[in-house]
Amino acid sequence: MRMAYHRSMQLLLVEDELEIQGFLKASLADAGYVVDTAGDGKTAESLASVKSYDVLIVDLGLPDQDGIDLILRLRQMGVSSPVLILSARRSVDDRVRGLEQGGDDYLTKPFALAELLARLRNLLKRKATATTGPTVLRVGDLELDLLKRRATRGDEVLSLSPQEFVLLEYLCRHAGRVVTRSMLLSEVWGMRIQPDTNVVDVHIYRLRGKVDTEGREPLIKTLRGVGYVLKER
Amino acid sequence: MSSKNDSVRLRSGAWRISLWATLAFAFGTSLVFAGLHRFVANDIQRRSDAWLSGEVEVLGDVAERTPKDRLYGRVVSEVAELASKEVPDKLRSGDSEGESENDSVFFLQVGADGSPQLWVGAGNGVANLKSIRASHVEPDVPFHLQVKGFDIPFRVASVRMDDGSSIYLGLSERDELRVLRNLRLRFLSFGLLIVLFGFAIVFYTTRRMLGHVREITEAASRIGSSDLSSRVPTTQHNDEVGNLARTLNRMLDRIESSVHQLHTITDSLAHDLRSPLTAIRGKLEMYLSIGIGVEEGEPIVSAIDELDRLTEFLNTSLDVAEAKADALRLSRTEMELDELIRVMMDLYEPSMAERGLRMQLRSAGPVRVFADAALIHRLIANLLENEMKHVPASCTVVLHLQVENEVAKLVVEDDGPGFAEEICSQVFEQRVKGAGSKGHGLGLAFVEAVVRAHGGVVTASNRAEGGARLTILLPCGMDHHEQEAAPVAVFAG
Repeated sequence: MRMAYHRSMQLLLVEDELEIQGFLKASLADAGYVVDTAGDGKTAESLASVKSYDVLIVDLGLPDQDGIDLILRLRQMGVSSPVLILSARRSVDDRVRGLEQGGDDYLTKPFALAELLARLRNLLKRKATATTGPTVLRVGDLELDLLKRRATRGDEVLSLSPQEFVLLEYLCRHAGRVVTRSMLLSEVWGMRIQPDTNVVDVHIYRLRGKVDTEGREPLIKTLRGVGYVLKER
Repeated sequence: MSSKNDSVRLRSGAWRISLWATLAFAFGTSLVFAGLHRFVANDIQRRSDAWLSGEVEVLGDVAERTPKDRLYGRVVSEVAELASKEVPDKLRSGDSEGESENDSVFFLQVGADGSPQLWVGAGNGVANLKSIRASHVEPDVPFHLQVKGFDIPFRVASVRMDDGSSIYLGLSERDELRVLRNLRLRFLSFGLLIVLFGFAIVFYTTRRMLGHVREITEAASRIGSSDLSSRVPTTQHNDEVGNLARTLNRMLDRIESSVHQLHTITDSLAHDLRSPLTAIRGKLEMYLSIGIGVEEGEPIVSAIDELDRLTEFLNTSLDVAEAKADALRLSRTEMELDELIRVMMDLYEPSMAERGLRMQLRSAGPVRVFADAALIHRLIANLLENEMKHVPASCTVVLHLQVENEVAKLVVEDDGPGFAEEICSQVFEQRVKGAGSKGHGLGLAFVEAVVRAHGGVVTASNRAEGGARLTILLPCGMDHHEQEAAPVAVFAG
């Protein structure tokens, strides 16, 4: 899915595993990013010093230096673009947590491509608009009043539990974009878990039963193996 | 804080050591004082005996030379009076001074027939004579004489005259006894002072020594599985305590290096497996995204699902392996269990309901623990998934949460079939699962691993009324370490 505002986005991918670098570059290019790649920290530094990137993807296990050191060095050089950190490590380093709090994001390998793209969009959006969002969200004939905590479809008021409202709100805010199960778990419930069972799916089924009633155009779509998307048509 | 300090002081081994040392010290001092006392007593007696012998000889001489006429009694009495005035000890009792009747000295002459001939001293001398007759007397050797009517005994010297009569000169032992009593009093108070002083010194030094030991113990107990980098405090002294600290630190070095090695192995294992997994998953996803139909996509989707399960299995296996080696890395923050469980139940409620299970929480209110949030999240999720996988429809799962003595207690009960007899004792072992279980057998092993890494305990049992019960005890935090760490400063000097 190509989207107009991605076209001019410049991205630096720092990853030493060539296979991963290859498919990431292809997928990112497909998503509309202009991608430069670097296989080690030194190349990344020299690239970042001559060109300004909108976002960086940095793998922590680089052959010549630690990814965190690279990020800190780039920050010292005045590179302020958001960074999406990739890691195959088991434990999340405290320094990574620090970067996460500074506005950068973190993703553990292996990850879903959809999730990587979604997080990239989040990083770019955070950079673009830090202002408060609208108080009413609209997707087709679905309308969410965030102040009154009321959801309507056409002229019918949907009776949602507070939890279902939060879930639908998250889907609406990301309307047209894929949200993965782990994104929903971490953003809606605040959990970083990977359940064995289909806990999230059951929530979505329930929500769908209330939002996409008989005779209405279905809005919540399932992308198998990936996640969900809320969109018209 | 101060009451905690006091109780630490009261429990110290320094009390016992100081008590024994003081007892030994007190025993030694009293032996020395007893010896000194004996020596002084003997010396005083020797001096008074020498005086008595000298005087009795003079008196005997005078008595012999004085003609036995009317004046004999007077002359001898006066000489005896005079003698009594020069009693060798200066510590004469004040009330007897200047009185003609001197009760500290007596003079008695007894005829050859044993009848009293002359008496100088207090009273009439009958009692004295009676006592002398009763005691066995050796001539020229002073002897001890207890006289009826006198509280204090006399020291008596005698001399036998040529005419067969005997002269006895007695000196009250009152002054001697008073000197000795004073001496004992001084010894006692002085000894008490020394013993107290000794106790204080011994207590202070052992206290300091044991303070170092306690510092080491506290520091060692703080070094948990999550923090192997700190070391116990060392002193520059080359004594036993210093050696203990250095040996402990060397041991910690070795443990740290083996744990580090384990981490390196699990990390590189994770890395080496995750990188190809990432590549495979990414490529599969790319195929999906180029828009193949549902039919063709099905195997790819299920392959991706399998990969995700494999990844989760890999992660959990490594976590359990590290936890078994007490090397699970924790990143603790303060968190609230009651709220977490409510959110988690909210998340799992639809799935539970779909399987026909009911869920209840009986909580006594907020429970704060200092723990690794990510691990605790997965722990609770594992517990609920475990129930979902193993409990048949129309059963009820009840969670009890409460705090007892700074320990959070979470009990998960159900009214299902309970644990199978053959696995009940080993449900926390890796790969142990019930005969009908479809899981990978890591769920409860992971639960146990996380609880253990946090210093807690988990037990599994079957309820008497049917169903399984899992009890998790989780210490609320590291507060007690911080509180105990403070008194170290008191004795660190």
